[in-house]
Amino acid sequence: MAQIQIGDTIPIVNLKYCPYDPKLANACGIPQVLSTESFKGKKVVLFGVPGAFTPTCNNSHLPEFHEKFSDLANKGVDTVVCLSTADAFVMDAWGKWTKVNDKIIMAADGNGEFIQKTGLSQDLTKMGMGAVRSKRFAMVIDDLKVVYIGVESAPGVTVSGATAVLAKL
Amino acid sequence: MIQVGNKIPESILTYIPYDPELKDACGIPQPLNTDEDWKDKKVVLFGLPGAFTPTCSLQHLPEYAQRYKEFKDKGVDLIVCLSTTDAFVMDAWGRSLGVKDKVLMVADGNGDFVKDTGLVLDLSAKRMGAIRSQRFAMVIDHLKVTYLGVEPGGGLTVSGASAVLAHL
Repeated sequence: MAQIQIGDTIPIVNLKYCPYDPKLANACGIPQVLSTESFKGKKVVLFGVPGAFTPTCNNSHLPEFHEKFSDLANKGVDTVVCLSTADAFVMDAWGKWTKVNDKIIMAADGNGEFIQKTGLSQDLTKMGMGAVRSKRFAMVIDDLKVVYIGVESAPGVTVSGATAVLAKL
Repeated sequence: MIQVGNKIPESILTYIPYDPELKDACGIPQPLNTDEDWKDKKVVLFGLPGAFTPTCSLQHLPEYAQRYKEFKDKGVDLIVCLSTTDAFVMDAWGRSLGVKDKVLMVADGNGDFVKDTGLVLDLSAKRMGAIRSQRFAMVIDHLKVTYLGVEPGGGLTVSGASAVLAHL
């Protein structure tokens, strides 16, 4: 699958997430469907990570988007979404761990449908992490159309980080 | 599916060794070769569909950690919790529940162990992917299965700590 490009429309896929609820701080949330169709009419920053709780994701990628959330909102971003191929329970737990609260939707692409349809899948079998994982990327989606995409070609956070995304907004 | 009396398939799993000084930092995954590491041990291994899920977090894993001493008293060398997520998630989950070094949190990230033992579960319909572990418990003595309990439904019976202790 060729990688999605600027100007392309994102595929309509059902992701899953546990809506933020402060009452469930220490309990497991209940996964709900999040259709990418709900991004219609919105400006969405979506960033994908190979895994939850991994060093790069945990120490820099997710926290930077969290810290810069109001800068993103000031530039007209309606929703910030963090995606991985873990399930909604793991994404919810990770969000609670990093205390992103309701600022970032922690979305699970558990079957890898979104990343496969956008050509953003990578095989991490050699690292014992399975064949269907997300590349590290960020995209800005305006009314379902991709207006920015940055995909990391090496470990680390550059083109997919909050700073790079802000510079393109 | 693997049966009592069978040898477990040689598998390379990964885990992050417990380190009390490592609080918020991410540890570094290490390989674990089942044939080498478990050849002279009595191991209680339990597998579950996912980390941080309600049944797993609230019952399955905590019960094993709480009854750690009873397992030790019955000659168990090692208690292992396995799922098809990666070692980072298993480590984070173990830390969030405070299991410390009582339960080894192991990732079967490629699903080799659950596939080779016939214990794989397809949860695509729940959008959790095609390669997940059934909820099961196994006693492995010098690499041979001496007890196997696989849950027939959504609850926790034959794979729980009580059921396993009763067979030891």
